[in-house]
Amino acid sequence: MTDQRLIRNFGIIAHIDHGKSTLADRILERSGAISKREMREQFLDDMDLEREMGITIKANRATVRHVHKGEEYMLNLIDTPGHVDFHYEVSRAMAACEGVLLLVDASQGVQAQTVANAYIATDANLEIIPVINKIDILGAHPDEVALEVEQVLGLAADEALFVSGKTGQGIDELFAAICERIPAPGGDRAAPLRALIYDAKSDPHRGIICHVRMVDGCIKRGDAIHMMRGGSDQIVTEVGKCTPKPTPMPDLSAGEVGYVLAGIKTLADVNIGDTITHEKHGATDPLPGYKTPQQMVYCDFYPGPGTTTQGLREAMERLWLNDSSFTYGPTSSDALGVGFRCGFLGLLHMKIIQERLERESDVSLVQTAPTVTYEIVLRTGEVVTILSPSQMPDPSHIEEIREPFCRASVIIPVDCVGTLMTLALERRGTQTGTEYLSKTRVMLRFEFPLGEIIYDFYDKLKSITRGYGTVDYEVTGFRAGQLVKMDILVNAVPVDALSIIVHRDKALFRGRRLVSRLRKEIERHQFEIPIQAAIGGKIIARETIKGFRKNVTAKCYGGDVTRKRKLLEKQKEGKKRMKQVGMVSIPQEAFMAVLDPGDD
Amino acid sequence: MNGCGLYVHVPFCDSKCGYCDFYSVALKGRSAGPLVTRTIQELGLRTLGGAAIETVFVGGGTPTVLPIDDFRRLFAALDGVVGAHAVVEFTVEANPATLDDQKLSVMTAAGVNRLSMGAQSWHVDELAALERLHSPDDIAPGVAMARRHGIGNINLDLIFGIPGQTVQRWAESLRRTIDLGVEHIACYGLTYEPGTRLTAQRAAGRVTPCDDGIETDMYGVALETLAQNGYGQYEISNFARAGGACRHNMMYWRNRSYIGVGPSAAGCVNRRRYKNVADVAGYIRRMDADGMAEAESEHLTREMFAGEMLLMQLRLTDGLDVTAFRQATGLETGSAFGGRLDDFAERGLLRITEDGIALTWAGTLAADWVIAELYAAMDLSGAESQHVASAIG
Repeated sequence: MTDQRLIRNFGIIAHIDHGKSTLADRILERSGAISKREMREQFLDDMDLEREMGITIKANRATVRHVHKGEEYMLNLIDTPGHVDFHYEVSRAMAACEGVLLLVDASQGVQAQTVANAYIATDANLEIIPVINKIDILGAHPDEVALEVEQVLGLAADEALFVSGKTGQGIDELFAAICERIPAPGGDRAAPLRALIYDAKSDPHRGIICHVRMVDGCIKRGDAIHMMRGGSDQIVTEVGKCTPKPTPMPDLSAGEVGYVLAGIKTLADVNIGDTITHEKHGATDPLPGYKTPQQMVYCDFYPGPGTTTQGLREAMERLWLNDSSFTYGPTSSDALGVGFRCGFLGLLHMKIIQERLERESDVSLVQTAPTVTYEIVLRTGEVVTILSPSQMPDPSHIEEIREPFCRASVIIPVDCVGTLMTLALERRGTQTGTEYLSKTRVMLRFEFPLGEIIYDFYDKLKSITRGYGTVDYEVTGFRAGQLVKMDILVNAVPVDALSIIVHRDKALFRGRRLVSRLRKEIERHQFEIPIQAAIGGKIIARETIKGFRKNVTAKCYGGDVTRKRKLLEKQKEGKKRMKQVGMVSIPQEAFMAVLDPGDD
Repeated sequence: MNGCGLYVHVPFCDSKCGYCDFYSVALKGRSAGPLVTRTIQELGLRTLGGAAIETVFVGGGTPTVLPIDDFRRLFAALDGVVGAHAVVEFTVEANPATLDDQKLSVMTAAGVNRLSMGAQSWHVDELAALERLHSPDDIAPGVAMARRHGIGNINLDLIFGIPGQTVQRWAESLRRTIDLGVEHIACYGLTYEPGTRLTAQRAAGRVTPCDDGIETDMYGVALETLAQNGYGQYEISNFARAGGACRHNMMYWRNRSYIGVGPSAAGCVNRRRYKNVADVAGYIRRMDADGMAEAESEHLTREMFAGEMLLMQLRLTDGLDVTAFRQATGLETGSAFGGRLDDFAERGLLRITEDGIALTWAGTLAADWVIAELYAAMDLSGAESQHVASAIG
């Protein structure tokens, strides 16, 4: 049992691409936890997708030993994801730590997620060690970056460390700082057991692995345990640490970080944030839990060609057991059949879930345009949440419509402020603050309706700032707005799936834009097709798809029959993936056109 | 039992036209002999069966580019077939510039009684745009020469919708063709087939297709002018004086059996469809190794056959033969197309009578779309093709 005094639990937080995973690799390698031979790039990113996209999605962890001033320390490293969509995982990981390394790229300086992550750490009362990384690269200006950190976050520049995760420069000083500056964990080893489940993973061979932070007491194999919130009882079959491979240990005690196996079969049986205690002589008060992540972005998944609804359901269940951060429920559509309405934390999250489904279960998906949720206050006073515009009640019953808002911090070069302000205005943003990071960089704070920025704000920002701008946002709640439902009529027939909820002031612009996009997406038919945008029965925009005058192949002889029949079969197949509205076939792409916010 | 057709493909040309997607190669510098030998061999094997051959069609490529000795050998073999069957129509495709007295004599001696010539246009620049090798001046002499040899049934092919063509110039080409007094005229709208040079040129922006409104007008002019001059339309692109409809092509459009011989030729006998290897060397190799050179074949299920009846017969002015459809497939036209027939009739695209279902003028202009919609509405469950043989590389 390690002396509690010599345990350090810490995380690494950073803006995306500031070298977090590389530094984690270097720490593992330097401490001898993994050999050079075993060293794969970014050891802790173990999902294929993470490795491919170069980002960390699920937080990972490792325990390493380090001798400092003659004493052997146990360092528990908890890796965290960097993207805004995964805030909740960052907060969860931090609840298991006493300190964090705040990593900042020496050439790029403080970025939006640097700030957001630092705030989460401050809120959690963690010791923050600023670490300026990538000091070896061309264009690094570590001293200025340290000053930015001081300016924006109030962390003294002379306390910053300078390292290179790539070359290993400054890593010894980093180890020393971890041992000296991050406090030892508190907790009473003699008190009744309280272990916080900060993450859980499904392993095909071993069942559910609960990752725990030991707060009080001690846990070992054979213990009868009780889940204080979930209420279930289990017998511990193994405890251990990730070094970074899972390694069984005789026990885990207060202050340590490790894993617990207890014959739990599915993730549905574990509440992340739950407290484990002993069945007998257990603790009386559970530890504070976590807020369940709130799904803010919704879209439908339908089975694509070669996939059945049942196959898709099984794939979703399998993935959900591994990652319960998304939600799904049955839905159906005339055109696409039976599918699932799914909720996500953000767009990247949606993309990752979609890719994991396709990759891990080999299913094909048809995906509808994502939307945010809305709260509708009815005249009766009742508040209903709608997950798609088609669920909008009749306008005569509606008192007000509320949309989700978020607080966003945007860090950009000073010369881009004008363009950003234009973009922010188009997206109905309200500026709430400005802070200069340095002479050349500024942080602007805004409040935005979430629906205005989830889709492509990030890409737009990158393009207007030549790649230098960064943004981080946090959903703050719902607010009433001048919102209306805009319907789209194709050949005079309203198409539910094309409806959008839009701000009254932007309706005309969006309506025109949308019908013009649809004109391009829908193929010419044999007749003229009007496409109209309407609000409450009033047409506000119209485009017409010209009809073909002639559509006939001149020649068809014996040798052409097979080819011709195969072409017809293909067209027949293609029609299955289109929505048939009267005599008009609407392709899948048209349903994505509603996403286009239309500023350029 | 109805008779069947025989198609022989001669895959050689002087040069390949930019719009053409039939299998053909330039003959220049090659010997046609080995191929002709194998073609005659296949002809013998394919005509051994009991089917009565009613029509023969030799197409290509350009059959008349064959060197005279090979030409003679091929037609001697065909003469043998004609002699053994009650052949009523024997057509050869020709290019006006490649006809000569010698070859015409060989053909008529073998029983050829119909000639199909690619006139295409009466304007030098249009022929150049199509990469045709002949000149407008070759057309009338070609027809006259055929007449001198006693060919009583002549077809001329014309193309409309050529880039740069006007309605007026199209009307001129029609006029001059009619003036030659041929029995049959085929009018094809220029088609941009995948994989052709013309399609590549369009993709590269070097060719601008004719506006579809203008093309529609040209088609209308053709129908009107030809009708006024006694040429009745019997298929989307085919017009003939009374009794002059091409019996061989009717075999295709009425879903009858036909034998195909030669590289890339397709055949369909007793609902077994096959297609030969589309490559001269490959064809020769397969004939020598296996005695046959099929690249693929399939047995048509009842539902597949129903689909083919729809797609071929709707092209005919008389339309889909309801009785034949019922006899061949056991399906009723009223229910086979998911009830969509009435939709199209109401929109004035189809004419439905007790005997047949046919496209109206408006329907003809939209034929591909109408056929695709009806095809998609057909319930073809269980219509998977049963592949019995596939290509050997």
